[in-house]
Amino acid sequence: MANLTAQQRQDLIEELPRLKRFCLSLTSDPADADDLLQITVERLLEKGMPEDAHVAKWSHRVCRNCWIDEIRSRDVRSRYALSESAVEGAGTTSANTDESVQLDRVSAAMERLPPEQRAALVQVAVEGCSYAEAAALLEVPIGTIMSRVARARKALANDLEWNAEREA
Amino acid sequence: MTDDRQNVVDMAGTRVDDDHLLSMYIDSELDAESTIALVNRLRTEPALRSRLTAMEANETLVKTLFARDKHDVPEHLAPLVAAENVTVLGTARHWQRWAGAAVAASFAIAAALFVNVNQTAVFNPMTMDNQLASVLEHSPSRAAGWESLDGDRQFRSVLTFPAADGRWCREFLLAQDESHWRGVACRDGGDWVNQVVGSEVFLEQETHYRPAGAGDSEKVARFIDETATDVALGPQQEAALIGSGW
Repeated sequence: MANLTAQQRQDLIEELPRLKRFCLSLTSDPADADDLLQITVERLLEKGMPEDAHVAKWSHRVCRNCWIDEIRSRDVRSRYALSESAVEGAGTTSANTDESVQLDRVSAAMERLPPEQRAALVQVAVEGCSYAEAAALLEVPIGTIMSRVARARKALANDLEWNAEREA
Repeated sequence: MTDDRQNVVDMAGTRVDDDHLLSMYIDSELDAESTIALVNRLRTEPALRSRLTAMEANETLVKTLFARDKHDVPEHLAPLVAAENVTVLGTARHWQRWAGAAVAASFAIAAALFVNVNQTAVFNPMTMDNQLASVLEHSPSRAAGWESLDGDRQFRSVLTFPAADGRWCREFLLAQDESHWRGVACRDGGDWVNQVVGSEVFLEQETHYRPAGAGDSEKVARFIDETATDVALGPQQEAALIGSGW
């Protein structure tokens, strides 16, 4: 496979911020997102891509595959333990205002979402993709995107409502 | 990509539940008939209206969350992508989160830096500019210390060795802010040309460093092993070579 063309390099540079948010939607952890982005870029530069490849779709696919590889190789239990401690730490540092408390709750609720739901929700709600665009990017049927986004919103609503009632 | 929204609903054996309807309404993905039907229900069903309000409020919070938290791209990545004259090392690096707390702290600092990838003049640490070529041409290798270059760059030549094709090559380190690079450049027709480069994370402790992961270092070493025909030059041999103009 050929190395990246100059145009593909430029397109990839412009795609990096969005790819970073995609990494975060997959990992739900800023440090992991940085690592995932680094590994994705290195793999893209090392392996290249077809000249006619759509840079955004190709890079998202490589990113997703890198994350799948990582998940398979990780010890799930230690990952869970680290994630929980990170959530607890986040809640104690920035709960100065109502809004920051709310945002911390949303952040924690987002972390509890299944990764595929979180990724779909971020593509639609944050990136502004249509269901068709998100489906093309994540390489799943449109109905799957619809279902994942809806289930993510439902889980967020129930999670935040339950937490609010518990603290009331 | 096929549009199977109706199939998904039918396969479930029931109509789309209200949360699905509200979600599609928020995303403007309902068809006109369904939108009209839902709006009519919202007028008469307070619970449904309340649920929509809650979901829309959460939507705003999610967007605010992503806008609030810094999701900057690490600053060394755009130059890495832009560089066309270098070979990128393989992807054998370790996930930093699992490489120790000190390294994680270093990454946290790096992650906080901002880079505007839309700027036209991104700093490319591997661009062979005149200053980098000059220090490769004239500076002796050293085990510690740095030479300051413009652009807040720090440079250190590590070793000099002969390549199999007759060229002289030098391994070097380059640093700017929290970005650190290890590379090899070879002298080709009087010009220094980068051959291999990899990003590294170092734990800065005044005058010394050590790599966070061995992956990149091993690959640079492998490149040198495959390229060099002899051991690295000693200080006197290197000084003589520099003095003779290579």
